[in-house]
Amino acid sequence: MAPSGTVADPPPSSATDSFNSGASEENDIRPFFVLHKASSGSLQGKSTGTVRSKRTIESPTPKIAKKSEVESAEEEDGQFLSNRRLKIFETVWSKIEKTIENVLRDSNSKIFNGIYDWIRESFESIRSYGALSLSEAVRSYPVLTQASSKQLFTALVLTRNLEMVDDLLTFEELNLHLKSQGCHVAKLSSMDFSAKNGVGGCLRGLLRQFVMPTLDVADVTTLASWYRENENHKNPVVIIVDDTERCCGSVLSDLILILSEWAVKVPIFLIMGVSTAHDAPRKILSVNALQRLCASRFTLSSPAERMDAVLEAVFLKPCSGFTVSHKVALFMRSYFLCQDGTLTSFVRTLKIACLQHFSSEPLSIMLEHFCQDRSNQLTGEGNGLLTESTMKHAFDLPSVTRNKITRSTCELLPQFLLDLQRMPNPWSIVVLCIYEAGKFDKLRLLDIFCETLDPEARYLKYFSPSAIVNCQSQVSGRSVIRQVLRKLRDLSPSQWRSLLKRWENLSAEFSEINDKVMELHPLKRSVEAAGQRQGLPNSPKKHASRSHTKLEKELSAMADKVAAVIEFMLREYMKPVESVPFHEILCFKNVDKLQSALLGDPRGRIQSDLLEAHNILHCICCSQRGTTLLPSMHDTSILYTLAQEHADVINLHDWYQSFKTILVSRSSKTKQNSKTCSKSKKRKDRCEEPEAPAEALIQARFCRAVMELQIAGLIRLPSKRRPDFVQRVAFGS
Amino acid sequence: MGKENPAEKALNLIRGRLCDPTFVFRPLSVSSDSNYSKLKFIVSTSITEGCNNSILLLGPRGSGKAAVLDLVIGDLLEEYPDSVSVIRLNGLLHSDDNCAFKEIARQLCMEHHLLFSKMASFDENSQFIIAMLRECGLAHKTVIFVLDEFDMFAQGKQRLLYSLLDAMQSVTSQAVVVGISSRLDADQLLEKRVRSRFSHRKILFLPPSREEFDSLLEHLLSLPSDSSFPSGYVSQFNEKIKSIISDTRFKNMLKTFFNANSTVNSLLKYMLSLDVRFRAVSLMNLESGLLSLENFKAALSSLQRQPKLEAVKDCSIVELYLLVCMRRLEVKEQSSYNFISVMKEYKTIHDSFQTSDYYAQNVCLRAFEHLKERAVICYAENRGQFQTGEYRPMKLLISASELHQGMRSHACCPAMLLKLLDH
Amino acid sequence: MKVESFCSFFQNQESSKVTRRNTRSSSSVTVENPEPNESHQPTVDDLTFGEESITLDALLSDFPGRRSQILDLIRLIGPLDCPSFPIMVYGDASTGKTSVVLQVFRHLNRPFVYSSCRTCYSPRLLFESVLNQLLLHSKCSSNGYSSAKRCDKPSDFVNLLRQALSNVMETLDSKSGTSRSSKPDGKPVGKMVYLILDHVDLIKEWEKGTMILQFLFSLYSVLKMPQLGIILISGLPPDVYYSNMGYTDPIPVYFPVYSQEELHQIFLRNQANRDLYSAFLDSVLKPFCRVTRRVDELSTTISSLFRKYCEPLDDLGLSPSEDLKRRLYNQLKPLIAPCLNEIFRVSSRPNDGDNRGERRQKASCSSENREEVEKLDFHMSTSAKYLLIAAFLASRNPATLDASMFDSTGGMDNRKRKRKASEKSMEKKEIAEQEAVMKGPGSFPLERLLAIFQCIASVGDSSFGEEEEGKEEEEEEEEATGYDRENNNLMSDVLLQVSSLCDANFITKSGSCPLEGSVRYRSMVSEDLALKVARSLRFPLSKYLYRR
Repeated sequence: MAPSGTVADPPPSSATDSFNSGASEENDIRPFFVLHKASSGSLQGKSTGTVRSKRTIESPTPKIAKKSEVESAEEEDGQFLSNRRLKIFETVWSKIEKTIENVLRDSNSKIFNGIYDWIRESFESIRSYGALSLSEAVRSYPVLTQASSKQLFTALVLTRNLEMVDDLLTFEELNLHLKSQGCHVAKLSSMDFSAKNGVGGCLRGLLRQFVMPTLDVADVTTLASWYRENENHKNPVVIIVDDTERCCGSVLSDLILILSEWAVKVPIFLIMGVSTAHDAPRKILSVNALQRLCASRFTLSSPAERMDAVLEAVFLKPCSGFTVSHKVALFMRSYFLCQDGTLTSFVRTLKIACLQHFSSEPLSIMLEHFCQDRSNQLTGEGNGLLTESTMKHAFDLPSVTRNKITRSTCELLPQFLLDLQRMPNPWSIVVLCIYEAGKFDKLRLLDIFCETLDPEARYLKYFSPSAIVNCQSQVSGRSVIRQVLRKLRDLSPSQWRSLLKRWENLSAEFSEINDKVMELHPLKRSVEAAGQRQGLPNSPKKHASRSHTKLEKELSAMADKVAAVIEFMLREYMKPVESVPFHEILCFKNVDKLQSALLGDPRGRIQSDLLEAHNILHCICCSQRGTTLLPSMHDTSILYTLAQEHADVINLHDWYQSFKTILVSRSSKTKQNSKTCSKSKKRKDRCEEPEAPAEALIQARFCRAVMELQIAGLIRLPSKRRPDFVQRVAFGS
Repeated sequence: MGKENPAEKALNLIRGRLCDPTFVFRPLSVSSDSNYSKLKFIVSTSITEGCNNSILLLGPRGSGKAAVLDLVIGDLLEEYPDSVSVIRLNGLLHSDDNCAFKEIARQLCMEHHLLFSKMASFDENSQFIIAMLRECGLAHKTVIFVLDEFDMFAQGKQRLLYSLLDAMQSVTSQAVVVGISSRLDADQLLEKRVRSRFSHRKILFLPPSREEFDSLLEHLLSLPSDSSFPSGYVSQFNEKIKSIISDTRFKNMLKTFFNANSTVNSLLKYMLSLDVRFRAVSLMNLESGLLSLENFKAALSSLQRQPKLEAVKDCSIVELYLLVCMRRLEVKEQSSYNFISVMKEYKTIHDSFQTSDYYAQNVCLRAFEHLKERAVICYAENRGQFQTGEYRPMKLLISASELHQGMRSHACCPAMLLKLLDH
Repeated sequence: MKVESFCSFFQNQESSKVTRRNTRSSSSVTVENPEPNESHQPTVDDLTFGEESITLDALLSDFPGRRSQILDLIRLIGPLDCPSFPIMVYGDASTGKTSVVLQVFRHLNRPFVYSSCRTCYSPRLLFESVLNQLLLHSKCSSNGYSSAKRCDKPSDFVNLLRQALSNVMETLDSKSGTSRSSKPDGKPVGKMVYLILDHVDLIKEWEKGTMILQFLFSLYSVLKMPQLGIILISGLPPDVYYSNMGYTDPIPVYFPVYSQEELHQIFLRNQANRDLYSAFLDSVLKPFCRVTRRVDELSTTISSLFRKYCEPLDDLGLSPSEDLKRRLYNQLKPLIAPCLNEIFRVSSRPNDGDNRGERRQKASCSSENREEVEKLDFHMSTSAKYLLIAAFLASRNPATLDASMFDSTGGMDNRKRKRKASEKSMEKKEIAEQEAVMKGPGSFPLERLLAIFQCIASVGDSSFGEEEEGKEEEEEEEEATGYDRENNNLMSDVLLQVSSLCDANFITKSGSCPLEGSVRYRSMVSEDLALKVARSLRFPLSKYLYRR
């Protein structure tokens, strides 16, 4: 919904914050957005332009608001620019999306191949029982071999995530992968395993995908005879059940029992996606069905691992140049951890952030050149689009003003852009180095990323010697980097070796860091030598002999040195993107917009909007209302405001009485209301001509309002026990 | 196969007799006051007078109602070949009126070589039947409706019975309805409109008396003299049979057997298993091809099974533990118990006695499932499916004494379990 | 005369319907013409077991401990062409009922028809599969995988069965005329067809199942065709069916569960190194027999154990000496106990993604010997975790205690108070506990869940701040802003999380409460899982859990 809001944006007025406020007013998701979209569209127009104009006047940058002749000139090329930005957004986003897809595919491919190999070898083992003649294969009684011939080969694919969203795609890809390898694949979902349809339902689903769409009755013999026909029996039959937990256990058990009776004639492989614990099948299936399964486990990479891979590909490796600020990163992280840990929602968040960045940041067009490869046509064409206004805007960016860059250094802009653009920039190298070091105690790149983005670079204070000391003493370090440092102390020589090697590879094309890394080599050798002398290199913790103590010394020296190197990296090259001038071009900073766009908290919205309805329907009649309830307000909002006084059960009679008093009280001051209200709603002036609205009418309006409240999910209608009470569904407010 | 020895041949003969009811019931029907003659009299009169009639044959299962009726009908078909047509229905198959009518129509069509259409609707079939009845009446053809499992036709709206009996009210039609039921109150099930049209002829089939049984046995087991057996063998064989039947031990045995159920059918089963036993013997020594009292004994024992005991014997130790725990809970008159409480009991037993076999909960759960599917235990009530099996209340399906016996005769039941069971 | 005229009129008015019917069931027409593709047209020979028959000795040696049952079966089925009563083979699962019956027919080499009520899960499927086999009809693409006849009512089944049987009888007569000798070739012997129905006990669960059972039991007497022998294979003893038995209750043949010695022989069959394996069985079989004596359940674990047993050996050909046996047994012994307690084995692949496969393997044995230190091995968002705990508390604690549990003073002291109160009367406590066990986890409305959730989320926020590697002690104001943001994060789309918890079977919608119509929920989480989750949140769960 947020994109649709932003797409309909007006051309950017030159004052950024006024623009932001305007944008935020339309971007945030409110339940009535659809209703009010049209009005908000006209809201840019002259009809209710008063609001906006007021805003721009009181906007805190008066000097720009003053020169209005420029604005008029800017309208049309601003229009042009916004369209342009939209296009560029599409290119940028498509690039990001492609990167993410590739990352995910790589992460899955290994497991997929594993599954396929497993299918192949078990298929061979089944055929090794001996080929069946046609008559044997379709006849009704089982092939009499040892009991193992009733085993049904099953793969439990552990998607280690409570939510299914990410894995639907995964199983779809698995389906395609296996099909491409020639297996007969059918994909059943928990819908097919409903207790109502019973085992017939899922068999029907199977046959629909294998044999033919229309069968009047579904049974396994059909499957068997189909399998024996033209060359089908050359390939195994695979059944994918992607969400096992949701299936009706008894039906699934029945299916397994039936299939296992035919296991030799129709070699069927069951692939069950298990989203929670690995022994979930034991809870669902009946013991007999369990006994028939010959299960083996495949584990997909956990969402956190995927997340790290995605982060690395999108933000740390040269991808699109788009990046996010510290706070935004923190928000996205906490959203991932607290809200729903699905990668899909993370990607959605990223997309919204990207879109809003493009909609709100005029200079974001320049990202185009980051998407394209390193050819520097930036200067040439960059000047083309560096119009007067954009230049002005660029040099009013807070980061610029902070760094005292004046218009005089205008020609430096391309220069700045260049080293913004420079990839791989030292910052990402440093982050990756720390990540490598952190891998030894399974630190998440997500955390490191968030911490290192911090513009004020608080992590540096760990390198004061006092901090080094207390980070040995202190057991629970909060900071990731401190954990890394502490971890360094008990690395084994072999780990040292691998760590240094990876660092070399990382810092290969960045000489300054690379030299530092190279300096570590002699130390590494001495450590290894000590390790060899001591015999068993992988146990630095024993204090048995002198060689141990020597090794200890070596290791600690090594650790200090490496710590020093890390400190050096952090101090010298750790320039978080927010500290760089002109970073606003690349970096999205506005957390609140993102949050409001992402989790609009609709229930809370509905309630608050009901409490002050006149902010949405800008009718004059209610505008002067303070805390008093005016009869001209919408009935629903009146009722809801009244409901606030009650506890969580509301006596219908009292409620109705107070509602009625409000409506009737209006009859006294009908006079001045009449002219104001006449233009607002026809319902109002329909209830105009009688002095007090008829009892029946009030009752009708009351009932309708209560209904609307119930539909909005705010109250629950009277139960049989207490017929004259409604209950407030009280939470979220 | 000429080389087949006389004993085996004799057995095949006997077996053949056992399996065809007409042979079995023929001797029972010679006497003048037998059900056979009653039934035959009624039906034949209604054929000859061309009047309608309806009879109920009542008696316990396996007392040969259907067999006698078949005898009668067979004879009548010989006597009046062209003026009798038989329609057989079975309550098991045709209790639903619609398919009953369809079946009648089908059989009528087959009788009269007409084309029968499956698609014919209920009304078409019924009016077809009425019409056919009228036609048959005019053609002086008696239609005999045999309704086996008569009580099942009396379930539901009884439209079939009503329309049949109603059609028989008309003078033109000429039909006999013979109902066979093992429910002695079968006619009480009829609605008033049906009962009023039903002529209350009932023939009761009682289990045969002892001497009838003896004669029946002899009739079944003795070999015909005029057969290709070696003559000495036949006489020898029949002598042996006579001696056995007259033997008092055998009479006692038979009495105990018939205290359980005294129908001809059960006797037939007995004889068949006797046949089996005898083969067991005769496979070992083919030369003495004679029945002996031991064969009868063995056959009897093979018939009388106690499935519950077998089920207990089949239990593994864990399952026995579960059973004992449930039993103890019942003794504590705990109102109702489920798997969880049984597990608690199991744990307390283990804690107090330090038993060697204390197994994980899911193993016990598996044992529990096995007991359930072996119908040794079951859920107490059907409602509450939304709960998982562990929490649903349940009950034992075997009595304490059965449990005792079974555990005593169990191969490797630990002695401690028996103690636990007692107190 | 009038009859004919009437009936001719009757035919006329029906002829149209007849044609329509033919077009409708055109499939049954296409059966007759032979299929073009390689699917051969089945003949009467396919009614026999197919492979060449085996001698009685081979049969007996194939099934250790089944001698008497096999002999009984053969005698009950009786000599060639002589009728028999229906037979009911019953016994526990995997006691070789089906295989013995089938192999007996392979030995006798007589035509039979087999249908399993497991595969045919509805009356229609059952009837049609029987008819298909009798009519020698094979489903294939050319006939649209349809059955020979459409039949779902017992009455139709009986008629069709009669026709089909008579056809088969004719063909059998003609064949038996040619090949009288019972040489062990695939040709069917005799003029009888046997109907084998497997898993009859499943029919009880069908709708109108009792009706079908009654029909099947009295099929013999209904059909009145002595050429059809009926054999029912059931997992339940005949006394279960007594209500359904018709005129002929079948002759029972009982298959008891294998004894330990018989199991020993069974597993010893077709083993390469017999005395090594028997030594292995001697050590292993006894403890396992105390748990279960089912072949299928034993075979999986035993085979895997034997692999471990053989690991130290370099060549599997050698015959073990005593001390070797002892040594092997000694390093096998630790493995036995876990295997005893495991009912579902998940083997992890070598190329599996996770490295902690071994620990999971152990954990998969049972919930008892799962080590407590094991961490949560799947991802849950924090709010989902809090919801899980809230649901757990809501269904464990009595609703009356919520107020005292979640007030500002924290749960500790009033839990003590409650305990004293409950210790006042012992036997009442007994009863309460017992009925709590009977009720299982209690159910709760959504509002209560959300209320508890809000409480513990606000309580847990401090600890939540702990476990988040933030900089809260460095800059408070930053953390403060981020903090309340997270707070309303937690609050915002809780209902989504509830639904996803329901999907994962952690919470179940348990039918609506009779008093007010609202749907009630119920937490299905085991205590150790809840503890695990709480640990991952550093949430003091035990403090809030009300113990009786």
